Amino acid sequence: MIARDKLNLLKDKFGPAILRADLPDDGRLFVSVEPSAIRDICRYLFGDLDARYIISIGVDDRPFSGKFLVTHNFAFDAEKLLVCVMVHLPAENPKLDSITRDVPAANWAEREIRDMVGVEFEGHCYPKRLVLPDGWPDGVHPLRKDFAWNEVPKDFEEEREFEFDEPPAGCTVVPFGPFHPTLDEPAHFRLYVEGEMVRGCEYRGFMVHRGIEKLAESVLNYNDIPMMAERICGICGCVHSVAYVQAVENAAAIKPPPRAEYIRTIMLEIERLHSHLLWVGLACHIVGFDTLFMQSFRIREPVMWIAEKISGNRKTYGLCLIGGVRWDITAESRAELRAVLDKLEAEWRPLVAAVLKDRNIQKRTRGIGIADKTACKRSGLIGPVARAAGVDIDCRRDHPYAAYDRVRFDVITSDGGDVWSRVVVRAKEVFESIEIIRQCLDKMEPGPLQLGIEDELPVGRLGLSSVEAPRGESHHFVITGENNRPRRWRVRAPTYQNLQGVPAMIKDQQIADMTISLGSIDPCFSCTDRLETIDLKSGATKIWTEGELLKLVRTKKA
Amino acid sequence: MSVLSKLKETLACLKAGRVTLPYPAQPLHAPERFRGRPIFDATKCTGCGGCANVCPAREILLFDKSQEIRVLEYLGRRCTYCGRCADVCPEKAVTMSHEFENATNSIGDINQRIELFMSTCQRCGRCFKEPAALDQLKMKGYRFDDVEQERWVFRSESYFENEPVVDDIKIEWD
Repeated sequence: MIARDKLNLLKDKFGPAILRADLPDDGRLFVSVEPSAIRDICRYLFGDLDARYIISIGVDDRPFSGKFLVTHNFAFDAEKLLVCVMVHLPAENPKLDSITRDVPAANWAEREIRDMVGVEFEGHCYPKRLVLPDGWPDGVHPLRKDFAWNEVPKDFEEEREFEFDEPPAGCTVVPFGPFHPTLDEPAHFRLYVEGEMVRGCEYRGFMVHRGIEKLAESVLNYNDIPMMAERICGICGCVHSVAYVQAVENAAAIKPPPRAEYIRTIMLEIERLHSHLLWVGLACHIVGFDTLFMQSFRIREPVMWIAEKISGNRKTYGLCLIGGVRWDITAESRAELRAVLDKLEAEWRPLVAAVLKDRNIQKRTRGIGIADKTACKRSGLIGPVARAAGVDIDCRRDHPYAAYDRVRFDVITSDGGDVWSRVVVRAKEVFESIEIIRQCLDKMEPGPLQLGIEDELPVGRLGLSSVEAPRGESHHFVITGENNRPRRWRVRAPTYQNLQGVPAMIKDQQIADMTISLGSIDPCFSCTDRLETIDLKSGATKIWTEGELLKLVRTKKA
Repeated sequence: MSVLSKLKETLACLKAGRVTLPYPAQPLHAPERFRGRPIFDATKCTGCGGCANVCPAREILLFDKSQEIRVLEYLGRRCTYCGRCADVCPEKAVTMSHEFENATNSIGDINQRIELFMSTCQRCGRCFKEPAALDQLKMKGYRFDDVEQERWVFRSESYFENEPVVDDIKIEWD
C-alpha cells in the first residue's frame, strides 16, 4: 500500500512531528503535522521524494476546532497518490513558515491564504498582495467565517490604483492587459522590456474574483454548487462540476452508479474535444493563421450541437449532482454521437497531418515560450504544458476517476517544451478523446443514473479530487459541513499554476512572442484606465479618467 | 513540404464550402432537451416551493401575502437555466421552454409572478393549494373540530400580517 509506505517514510524521518494520519483509501493520505516541522516535511516530500506540488489551502476552522487550518497538497503521480499535509494554527496571530524557498510553486497559494484567511507566512519570497486589491483594508480577510458573504468593508478604497514594483534598470515598462485582443479575460502584465526583448514582468490579476468559494460555504448547498461550479470556467465547466462532486463523494464515501460514471466520462471528453479544437484554432489565430482557426471552429461546431442534444445546453451541461448525473444518453443520441465522432475524426486527421508539416506555423512557434521539465517541477506546471515538456502526467491515468480506469488510452507527450509541442500534444489528444468516448459507449450498461442518498452527509470529512481538464489538472478540496453545505471548498484551476510559469516562459524573448506564449497555456482570465472621445464636428478630444467613466456607467439612465 | 501542406489546407477549406447558417434571417430550432427560459404554469402549481428550494441562483422567491395568498416570483435576472426547478416540480408546472432569444432591456419581459389561493391544512396549519377548482371554493382558514360533539367546524380567519413574512425579499422593479 503506497499511502502507508509514504507515511512510514515520513514517520521514520520526522517521528514526533507527525501528529495524526488518515488513510481513507489507497489514493489518499492525510497527515496532520507539527507547525514547526512544516518546512522540512514539505522540502522532503517535494525534493527528496519528488512529489508534485498541487496547492495550499487555508481554512478558518475556528468555529469548530478553535484553530486555523493550512494544508499543502502534493501528488505522487506515478504511484496514484494524493497527499494532504495539514497544520493546525492557533486562533490568535496565526503564523507559519513559508515553503516557497523550497517549493517555489507555492508562491501564489500562500499569498492567497494570507489575503483571504489571514495566516502570515514567514520568509515568503515575494510577500505582495495577490487576490485582494491594494485598496482593501488590512486585517480584513474575506474567507474568515466571521466575514459575511455580502459584506464590503467601510474603508475599502475601490478606486485606489495598484502599487507596482520598480522596473529593473535600463528597462522600459510595457503594459499588457488588462484589456488586450489576445486576452479573453482581464489580467495585467507589466512587461519589463529592453529594446524588443522581455526581461521580466509583474503580474496583477484576480480582477474578476467572484467569491464563489465564499458563496458555497455560506449561501449555497451541496446540490446547488455543481451548477455554480460549472460557471467558474467558460470552457471547462463540466470539469469543475465533476471535480466538486467527486471531492464531496470522496469525503462522504459515496460511489455513484456505473452508468453515471460512464456518462461523466463521456461528457468530460466531449468537453475536451471542443476545448482542444477551440484552443488550436485560437493559437493559430494569435499567430495570424486564420485558415486553421476557421476550420477548427467549423469542425468543433457539431461537438457543441451533440452536447446540446444530450444535456440541453452547448456549454453548461448541468450534468452532476452528488451521487450521480441528471442526463441519460439515449439510444438515439448514442448513435448520433458516434456519427459526430466519425465525422470529426475523418476531418481532423487530414487537417492535423497538413498542419504538422506546415513550416510557417513552426517558424512562429518553435523555440517560443519554453517551459522545460525543471520549470514544470518548480512552478508546478500541469496538463498539456507539462506533457509538451516530456513530463508524463495525466490525472485520467494517474488518479483515475469516473470510468477512466475502464478505458484504454495513451497519454500524448512531446519533448520540445515550446508552443509548437503544445500544439502537437493538444492536436493529437483529440484522437485519444474520440477513442475514450467510443469505448465508453461500448461498455456502458443500462442502470440507474443517480444514487439514492437517504442520510445527511457526514460532517467534517475531507475530500480531494483531481480531474484532468483540457488545460491541466483541476484540483478540488472539500471539507463537509453542517446545514447541507460544505465548510470549505477550494478550487484550484489549472491556469492558477500554469500562469505562474509564464514569467519564466517569456523571459529573454521578443515582445512579439508574448501573446502566443501566454496564449499557449490557454489562460482562463478584461478594465480600462481611460477612454478618448473625439467630437467629430470640432475635432476636439477629451480623455476620460477612470473616475469619470465609473461615474458614467454607474449613473442609471432615466 | 510546406507548399504541399498549404495545398492540403486549401483543399480542406474548399471541401467544407459554406457552413454559416442563415440565422437570424431564418429561425433556428432548439433540440428537444434544450433548457431555455423556464415557464411557470399557474394552473398546475400547488405552491409547494420545491423549485424555490433548489434554485442555485436563488431566483425563485416564495412568500405568503396572507394566510390564503401565496406569491411565487421568478426573477430571471441571473437564472442559469440549469433546470433544477423543472426537475423537482411534482406537478410538472415548470417546463424548460425552447425560448433562447431572451435578450431584453426590460426585466419585466423575463420575470413571472404567480398568485396562488391556498387552503390551510387541517393538521399542520400550513397553506397548500387545493388540486381542483371546486376544492378551492371551500372555506378558508383554520379548522378546529368539536371533538365532544364529534363534528367538523371551520373557522375562517387570517392571522398573517398583510405583508410578506420574509423581510429580505425586496424586489426591485424597473
